[in-house]
Amino acid sequence: MEKIINVTNLQKSYGNVKAVNGIDFYVEKGSLFAFLGPNGAGKTTTINILSTLLSKDVGDVNIDGINLGESEDAIRNLIGIVFQEGVLDPLLSIKENLETRGSFYKMSKEVLKERIKLALEVTGIANISSRKYGTLSGGQKRRADIARALLHSPKILFLDEPTTGLDPQTRKNVWNTIIHLQKEENMTIFLTTHYMEEADKADYVVVIDNGEIAAKGTPSYLKDNYSNDLLEIKPINEEKLINYLTLNNLDYRKQSDVYSIKLNNTIESINIINNNKDNIASFQVLNGTLDDAFINITGKEIRE
Amino acid sequence: MILQLIKRNLKIFFRDKASVFFSLLGVFIIIGLYVIFLGKMMINYTDQMVGINSRFLMTSWIMAGVISVTTITTCNGAFGIMVEDTALNRMNDFKVSPIKRWQLVLSYVLSAMIVGFLMSLLTLILSEVYIYIDGGTLLSFIAFIKVLALIVLSVFSSSSLIFLIMAFIKSQNAFGTASSIIGTLAGFLMGIYIPVGNLPVGVQTVIKIFPLSHSGALIRQTMMSEAVSLENLPEEFKLFLGLNFEVNGEILSNWIHIAYLLVSGVVFYLLAIIVVSRKRSK
Repeated sequence: MEKIINVTNLQKSYGNVKAVNGIDFYVEKGSLFAFLGPNGAGKTTTINILSTLLSKDVGDVNIDGINLGESEDAIRNLIGIVFQEGVLDPLLSIKENLETRGSFYKMSKEVLKERIKLALEVTGIANISSRKYGTLSGGQKRRADIARALLHSPKILFLDEPTTGLDPQTRKNVWNTIIHLQKEENMTIFLTTHYMEEADKADYVVVIDNGEIAAKGTPSYLKDNYSNDLLEIKPINEEKLINYLTLNNLDYRKQSDVYSIKLNNTIESINIINNNKDNIASFQVLNGTLDDAFINITGKEIRE
Repeated sequence: MILQLIKRNLKIFFRDKASVFFSLLGVFIIIGLYVIFLGKMMINYTDQMVGINSRFLMTSWIMAGVISVTTITTCNGAFGIMVEDTALNRMNDFKVSPIKRWQLVLSYVLSAMIVGFLMSLLTLILSEVYIYIDGGTLLSFIAFIKVLALIVLSVFSSSSLIFLIMAFIKSQNAFGTASSIIGTLAGFLMGIYIPVGNLPVGVQTVIKIFPLSHSGALIRQTMMSEAVSLENLPEEFKLFLGLNFEVNGEILSNWIHIAYLLVSGVVFYLLAIIVVSRKRSK
């Protein structure tokens, strides 16, 4: 295992507001790393510091062996960034945009041409490359943004909420492109998101809230530690079930005619079901979700 | 990479038909005013002063003014790209790329100069067509080259001034307001809507300080001498129309005009660079 990004005690304030308040984390090379948090938690500030857009107040950041603040251009050559809002020129075609932005990296004309072709293929927009960026749909724009970030074959790709505002089908396509880049091109992916189902597919998740790290781990670790499995029973005789539950000291909640029983693990449910076999109209066992974990960690629902 | 950036800026400017049109709006206003009422008045006045060729002379006068104004309004339009890049956060993509700030800034400045030159050249050609149709004659080759050189000088001066103003502007609203003020004010500050001689002494001083009035004076001299030999014109007439400027009772020589344009241009560029680099240090 190799740490490609290592962050220690990172701090950044805007006036009196502490946007990032001393966070530590690292990113493994080749992994898909997700930064999860509500709006205003400090996700974008962190990504902007790592990508040399903002300067840090305090702390150490090391990206692929280079310390942030020592050689910014070396870092800029290593990373690609997809911003929340499109940064390409609406009046230029995708190809013209890529030619302009590609010229920032010291490549010969032939290499750049080859890189543009590759970036267009990977993102699946080769067939529309002569269309003006401004006339594209949201999903096509996002792919063009990603193609731009890939021009110099970066080792790390930062994506700031890459799927926000896209319809489910397009979101899935963009997501597949991201997964492809990680798996096939061995790129390290660092993304921020507030979609649970996306964080769920990451190798490692850091939950950030109010500028501080609230929890970190693999999605399954977070679910195991911060959410409960549930057994939902719809009884035939409600009183009988309540009696059983109180007698056995089981924590439960009633929603209309369904009783949700908190479990430490799913196996526990077998016993309960066996003991109430004759009193069950229907039941289901639910695994804890990242949603629950998130709510338990931050104490709030994710804000869209 | 600077060349690629310039190519980008030029494409964006010329593909945005509205921005091209609005950068020429000041010019259309002047020509409209002149054709509708100013022209007749001015030609009557000239008739009394000079007598011969007065129509050709005055058309050349107004067109020389139009060309000077074009250099400033089109440079301004081209700098709109810089403001837009900042306001819409497109600048962020440049900031996270391995290009230097000065390369980026230089690309905006050079693009503005190229836009200013091309659009002024276009205006010059259209002016000549108008003058020709109106019964005048085309510029001689030497005079044409002279006007081109003066356009270059004028563009240098305009771009420096606009660059300094734009260094303070961060939003598109502010840019729109600044553009309309610059477009209108330029016509007054070069003594085009109203000849210098008709304005109060205080305003005349402002006009003499405004660098572009000096390139206006030089372009006027060059274009108007195609109609009438300037030596035959009374000095008060030349001062009235802003072909020459008088400071402390002395008529400024053409070399002073040129030197003033160059020096003020360099000073404005230095100031703008200081402002721009201050803004970055956060």
